[in-house]
Amino acid sequence: MERKEFLRYSAMGIAGLTMFPANLFSKESIQSNGRLFPESLAYTIAGEWKEFEISVGIAIQELAPAMEIHTLAFNGKVPGPEIRVKSGDKVRVIFKNETELNHTIHWHGIYVPWRMDGVPYVTQMPVMPGKEFIYEFIAEPYGTHFYHCHWGTLLHMQSGMFGSVVIEDDDDPIKKQFPYDREYTLIYSAHDVNFIREELNGMIERMKERSYLMKKGRFDPERFNLFNTKEELLAAIEKGYQPPYLVNRRSSAELPVPNWFTVNGKSYPSTPNLYIKSGENIRVRLINAGTENHHLHLHGHDFWMVCDDGVPLPQPWKRNTVSLSPGKTYDIIIEGNNRGIWTFHDHDTRRVTNNGLYPGGNLLALIYEDLPVEERMVSSTGRMKMGNGQSMNLLPKVALDE
Amino acid sequence: MKRYLTLLVAVFSTILSVSQVLPEIELGVKGVVSANIGVNNNGVSSAVSDFSDSQILLGFRQKLYNKWRGQMVFGMQFPDADSDLGQVFYNHVFIQVEDQKNIIKIGRSTTRTILNEFPTLRDDDAMNFNYSLNPFSKGSNTQDNQYGNVIEYTHIFAQRYWLSFHGENFSDLSKPENFELNSFGFSLLYVVPESQLWNREILQRLGFSYNSYATNEAGYEGFDRYLKNILGTITLNVLPDPVHLIDFKVQGVYNIGFARLDSIKSYSDYVRTPSMATFATLRYLYRKLERPLLQVSVGFGLKSFELLPKSKQGIFISNVFYRVGENFDIGFQYRYLQNNGEVADLFSSSAHRFQFAFVYSINQIFNKHFDDRNSILNLEHNYIN
Repeated sequence: MERKEFLRYSAMGIAGLTMFPANLFSKESIQSNGRLFPESLAYTIAGEWKEFEISVGIAIQELAPAMEIHTLAFNGKVPGPEIRVKSGDKVRVIFKNETELNHTIHWHGIYVPWRMDGVPYVTQMPVMPGKEFIYEFIAEPYGTHFYHCHWGTLLHMQSGMFGSVVIEDDDDPIKKQFPYDREYTLIYSAHDVNFIREELNGMIERMKERSYLMKKGRFDPERFNLFNTKEELLAAIEKGYQPPYLVNRRSSAELPVPNWFTVNGKSYPSTPNLYIKSGENIRVRLINAGTENHHLHLHGHDFWMVCDDGVPLPQPWKRNTVSLSPGKTYDIIIEGNNRGIWTFHDHDTRRVTNNGLYPGGNLLALIYEDLPVEERMVSSTGRMKMGNGQSMNLLPKVALDE
Repeated sequence: MKRYLTLLVAVFSTILSVSQVLPEIELGVKGVVSANIGVNNNGVSSAVSDFSDSQILLGFRQKLYNKWRGQMVFGMQFPDADSDLGQVFYNHVFIQVEDQKNIIKIGRSTTRTILNEFPTLRDDDAMNFNYSLNPFSKGSNTQDNQYGNVIEYTHIFAQRYWLSFHGENFSDLSKPENFELNSFGFSLLYVVPESQLWNREILQRLGFSYNSYATNEAGYEGFDRYLKNILGTITLNVLPDPVHLIDFKVQGVYNIGFARLDSIKSYSDYVRTPSMATFATLRYLYRKLERPLLQVSVGFGLKSFELLPKSKQGIFISNVFYRVGENFDIGFQYRYLQNNGEVADLFSSSAHRFQFAFVYSINQIFNKHFDDRNSILNLEHNYIN
């Protein structure tokens, strides 16, 4: 290797290491990793209701080091905060729209009253800029669910408007069968960052105009592309109105092609890791809030699939790969029975990329906290040399290209 | 030496074999085709198809290794048939590097000889009234006033204030003889980003500029070497509205000129004698489905000459454009020119022109993978490099 090339790679290595805690096993590392999981949203008690407050605004999200995008963020975060309640709780969510766009919240998998379902023009009018909407429902059924915006869903969801809802039960059937203390929520998504940027800009521009016109009482069905009935639409077309999907396109003619894949709003090497100890069970709640299928595979283990869409399975299945399609949630139990550092990733490796470059995307690790130091060291030849510090390196490295 | 060249080739081959980030590719096309009827002192003339001012721009842009961006633009224009510029004129060949607040540009491009964009069919329809005129030109084409070899630095502050320092090599583009820096100037503009134009109560644009041309043409010995002029402009929103927008634009060009040059015997005299030109337009824009559908404008201009009180020029120009499809307009424009005094000898004393036009213009960016400084997200929600 040329001296210059060596220096270049050394510098890259140092830069890579500085982005991550030097020691994945330190208390600081484990604490800082904890911040990569959705934080439970605090609530207040209002009579018999558990009252939550959620707002949406535009924020900048760092998907991976040096890669930032504008996002729509619930309470300033992607994903939004986790709503964790008990089965049967009366839940009130005060949703405030702090953007110039319309939004709603859909409660995916939850038995809400239909007027609380968050589908614009079907169950409610959109929550307009600066406005508030109060969602009220009883937390049912038990399990792992999620919420997301249902306005401009294709754009708003991949722009960050999603978060987990966990409905707990004091008599948790999974905990009974697989006792555990620690659990993790992993929300998967896929983003065409170019689509997000262009569409958000266009949508904000349009909404600035529309909000202005609405305030002046100048609603125009054709300009807003909004008709009371299908007959009204057909009549407008008869008179020369061109729907926006024809010659008056207002956005790209291309469907988004995701080029960034995130877990809890982060792509490798910023993704969260799962920590475990030998002999421990951990519960992992998997949610797909994106548009792509993810075939999640855990190295070195089989895991128990225990819930499907929040519903406990009568007979848990043992497997090492699960296909998490858009809108699905699965709960899995990982048993700590093979210590090491194991990757947990999408086996459709197109999703293990950042902007087309492997590795990246939804790649993360299951890390045994009790892995002895000597087992984390490996010789350059790949042969384990226990206790011999010569020519050994700590694993894992931060690889941005292979 | 031969070995060295071989090495260079090898180095470039290695570089080319590495995958590259595909740049953004911008394609700009403007096709302006009109049928013209002109009436002046010499009678009636007509042009079956005038496609001057039609042009193609091709730009390539990508992020650099720091927070800057680099861009290369090639552009070709089809000039007037009698322009002496040939069938095709290369109006843009430049490289630009920029970050959020700075722009450096070098190459053949538009010059800072106008401060506003007026709603005329072609950019040069009121050139004698709204451009600072190039003293190196013989007046045989309008491109001399619009394009030059430029070097520019612009600093943008508070998102809306554009301060530019620029130097140019102006020439008679049909016969360029030297390529030295022969002009310099600066400008300060307050510009509301396009996406927010309708949203401004009054002021859209305000600015001024100063240009100084280092002329040394034979026949003008004894006059100043530097021909200086000052431009000022303002655009006001008369009716700020996303559907029915009315704006008023005015620009003044004060040519300080050569004191004591009190006759106009040639185009060179015309450009050098002190003058004051004002041009203004009132425009109504109807945007039906969030895009333009109809535009109507009227414009007036006056030019007077400090040392020639009897010489004056006037212009009235009015047009209407109707969008018949995405990017495709049909239009009609009428222009009347009146020249009095010595300028009537140089140009005709009066001229009417009627134009029926089709205009097709597109601006598409392929592989767009980063945002513009003036996007809503970057303007209002923090800039992302």
